[in-house]
Amino acid sequence: MSTIVVNGQQRKVKASPDTPLLYVLRNELGVMGVKFGCGLAQCGACSVLLGDEEVRACVTPISALEGKPVTTVDGLPQRWASQKGKMSAGTLHPVQQAWIDEQVPQCGICQFGMMIKVTELLEANPKPTDQDIREALTTSGPSPHLCRCGSYAAILEGAHRAAKLMMQGESA
Amino acid sequence: MIRSPSKSEAKIIYDINVHGARLMGVSRRGFLTAGGTLAAVFAMGGRSAVARVNASKANLHAHSAATVNGWIEILSDNTVLLRTGKCDFGQSTIYTAYRQIVAEELCVPLEAMTEVVSGDTDRTPDGGGTFGLLRYGQNLRKVAALMREASLELAARRLAVPRANLSVREGVISGATKAISYGELLAGEDLHLVIPISGDLTMPMGLRVDADPPLKPVKDYTIIGKPVFNPSIAPKVTGKTVWVGDVTLPGMLHARTIHPATLGSTLIAPGKLDGKQFPGARLVRIGNLLAVVSPDEWEAVQAAQSVADGCEWSKWEGLPPSERLEDHLRMMATEDPTPVRDGRANKGNASSVKTTRELRASYLMPYHKHAPISPMVSLADYREDGSVWLHTHSQNPQHLRRMIALMLGSDEDKVVVRTYPGAGHYGRSNGGSAGSEDEAVLLSRELRRPVRVQWMRSDDMQWSTQSPAMISDIRIALDDAGRMAAYVASHIGPGMQDDRLVGALLAGMPVIPAPSPATTYGFQSTVLNMSDTWVYGTVPAVLEQAKGGAHPGQHEATDVVGLRSHSMRTPIQFQQNCPREIAISEAAMLAGKDPLQFRLDHVSDPRFVAILERLRTEAKWEDRPSPSPQAKSHGSDPVKGQGVSIMLRDNGYWACAAQVTVIPASGEVKVERMTIVADVGIVINPLQLRRQIQAGCLMGVSQALHEELSFDKGAVTAKDWTGYPILTMAEMPELKVVITDNPTVGIYGQGSESANALASPAIAAAVMDATGKPIRRIPLKPEYVRAAIKLHA
Repeated sequence: MSTIVVNGQQRKVKASPDTPLLYVLRNELGVMGVKFGCGLAQCGACSVLLGDEEVRACVTPISALEGKPVTTVDGLPQRWASQKGKMSAGTLHPVQQAWIDEQVPQCGICQFGMMIKVTELLEANPKPTDQDIREALTTSGPSPHLCRCGSYAAILEGAHRAAKLMMQGESA
Repeated sequence: MIRSPSKSEAKIIYDINVHGARLMGVSRRGFLTAGGTLAAVFAMGGRSAVARVNASKANLHAHSAATVNGWIEILSDNTVLLRTGKCDFGQSTIYTAYRQIVAEELCVPLEAMTEVVSGDTDRTPDGGGTFGLLRYGQNLRKVAALMREASLELAARRLAVPRANLSVREGVISGATKAISYGELLAGEDLHLVIPISGDLTMPMGLRVDADPPLKPVKDYTIIGKPVFNPSIAPKVTGKTVWVGDVTLPGMLHARTIHPATLGSTLIAPGKLDGKQFPGARLVRIGNLLAVVSPDEWEAVQAAQSVADGCEWSKWEGLPPSERLEDHLRMMATEDPTPVRDGRANKGNASSVKTTRELRASYLMPYHKHAPISPMVSLADYREDGSVWLHTHSQNPQHLRRMIALMLGSDEDKVVVRTYPGAGHYGRSNGGSAGSEDEAVLLSRELRRPVRVQWMRSDDMQWSTQSPAMISDIRIALDDAGRMAAYVASHIGPGMQDDRLVGALLAGMPVIPAPSPATTYGFQSTVLNMSDTWVYGTVPAVLEQAKGGAHPGQHEATDVVGLRSHSMRTPIQFQQNCPREIAISEAAMLAGKDPLQFRLDHVSDPRFVAILERLRTEAKWEDRPSPSPQAKSHGSDPVKGQGVSIMLRDNGYWACAAQVTVIPASGEVKVERMTIVADVGIVINPLQLRRQIQAGCLMGVSQALHEELSFDKGAVTAKDWTGYPILTMAEMPELKVVITDNPTVGIYGQGSESANALASPAIAAAVMDATGKPIRRIPLKPEYVRAAIKLHA
């Protein structure tokens, strides 16, 4: 039995320490805002934030978490609320709001990882250029974040809108 | 309207003919204080509609679509429920365009369209594959028009105003100073509009409405053309959507299938399952279908890998390796019995046109994978009573239901398929199956527990179907003025679709007929149609032919799977349009003409003239012959080029320009800018259409630059994203999409296809423009570009 912090909550976990975080989140903790894509850290569909850093849940055993908190898309509103000093997560995270405003997804399965990666980027770089966004989603992690539908143009627009919403401190 | 023989004066049975449909039902106004509906149900034309509806409604235990209340239901609270057997694959059409079309025909506000139920065989009608949504969407448009007309008939009686004096607007029917809302009209009513249909619910094409009601004039549209948001996006990005992989059932086991070593191997001996290392896991074998199950998913993953490493499979070498693909297709052209199909635009005696200048060239299109970002996953629950509930992501759940029933030897009414959002797979399941569904059912039946089969990345790359290759021989003869005098094309490739269930094949269970020249079942034909619509109407002589055949490995033995084909986004037309458009650009080069102007000189349809002229401006096209005056085929300095392509599909007119940079020495191609101009007719939702076209265009750039399936003599050798790379965001070109709304043509525009097929020929032409060398093979990988330059040095 170990304890991990997921979306602001301490969670007890029975899974063996070598179990990838992906399966623990989905099957043991019922946190579904993380998706199986390749199991090989090649696509980014399973990305979560570990502390402030994007990692691939499909290849990260829970023994490697080192006590750092895990944030999935489900926990983005909470993360935003606590960053704004609010108690409750009443609003969406600006990245989620921007993804709705810009109608970013096609099928949407890759967008869980895309939103996590863009959140990581914007927390470190509030006014990214096109180039910064492209690099974040292509070369900064263990692999590019892949979208088969080809929603990259919408993602670029979504990321810029999210940056604006974050600067304004606004969301839904 | 006839008086009921019942004692109650208030009970009235309606039976009104409405443009070929029958409005039937019972009024209980005065008895009921709440509720009331008008629902569209359906009945086969020429049979007793009443008997059929009553029979299906009585048969409550049959999980059949015949028991559902049809396409559209208007409720007494003025809301409208929409049901469709089609599914959403990310295009959003069923949540946006379909709601807009129905609201428009019913003349209700869009907000009244509160619910869309889709793709569940026990809850939705019509069936058929999810493709050509707006073409086959005419079903819903017609049903909505019939519902409106039926409501007007009812209102005429209720308000005692002649039908001709009534009109409907914003959900209110009015005329001669009287008015009534749909809700008021239907309160206390239990009405069905019985709509004549033809077709077969569980066959690949599904049902079709056989009525022609008056449709709302395009000039009166108020909802079609609006940039309506897709309501399925907010729940997806907030994590509230239940995706196919998220569905669980009590007692569920996780399974991983261990697929054979090759596409034709049989199992000699399974690997050992180490019970000490994997205490919760169990090995299941059904013929050549082998799987490991466990209540713990991670244990199933590890145990399956361990067993797979120890499996012994028979050797099979029934495929031509991918580097011998061209030879195989040439052999197929002469040896396969599948007949040649002629193009519809063939005219004149193209083969005998003799000129002094002509292009003769062959073009090779590779195998492509649909390559969904998440591999397929399905959950099956085989129950003691022999019924099966299958939870999956399918573009054609009704035909999947039929194939599952066939596999099990059971009645179709024993099978229910429920669908959920999943990773887009662009046509792979438009015949029902994308992989994993049948395996889940067989394992659940074997174990009498719900079983969830999650394919791994390698299963999806190696065991799913693929979009087939094509080789095209093209001859273009130019006259003395440099105009096309004749166009001759011969396209050779395997048939486009094999919907047989792969798990059933491995398990030795019954499946639908294998593709052949003779079969008339669904899309299971080896015949290759001429699918690329001819657009150069001024060319005097045209001969287009298509020669199909069996897929590689198919004829080796009955239990061999082989390299199965399946249609993929813009199927067949992708493979035929790309060589045609590259050849047209080469012919322009031969004629010394600007390739955009060369197209303008040969098209006959004013819609093409309009979009090509628009493209010239929007793309900042350089009006000049190709190759570029700066073209170079050597050196490490970047050279620039431009290329153009056009396509006519589903009455949509498309033009595309690509601007690229090429490093001749390395063969590296960078796509700098893509411009698409589309005249698709009536634009239902400009916002969603733009997103579809942008995304489709980038998928096309991916296909142009990277995509090619590799295989050896036995198996697909691409196992993951390193073996089948796709476009990354860093490679995204500048993108410009121009949509020209053209309501005068009266046809709804489609955007989910075509856009992906335009990039390859435009980019190839741009590389030719930059280097001055013919490019006759995609993808434009550096090694192929280098080889093309060397070949024509």
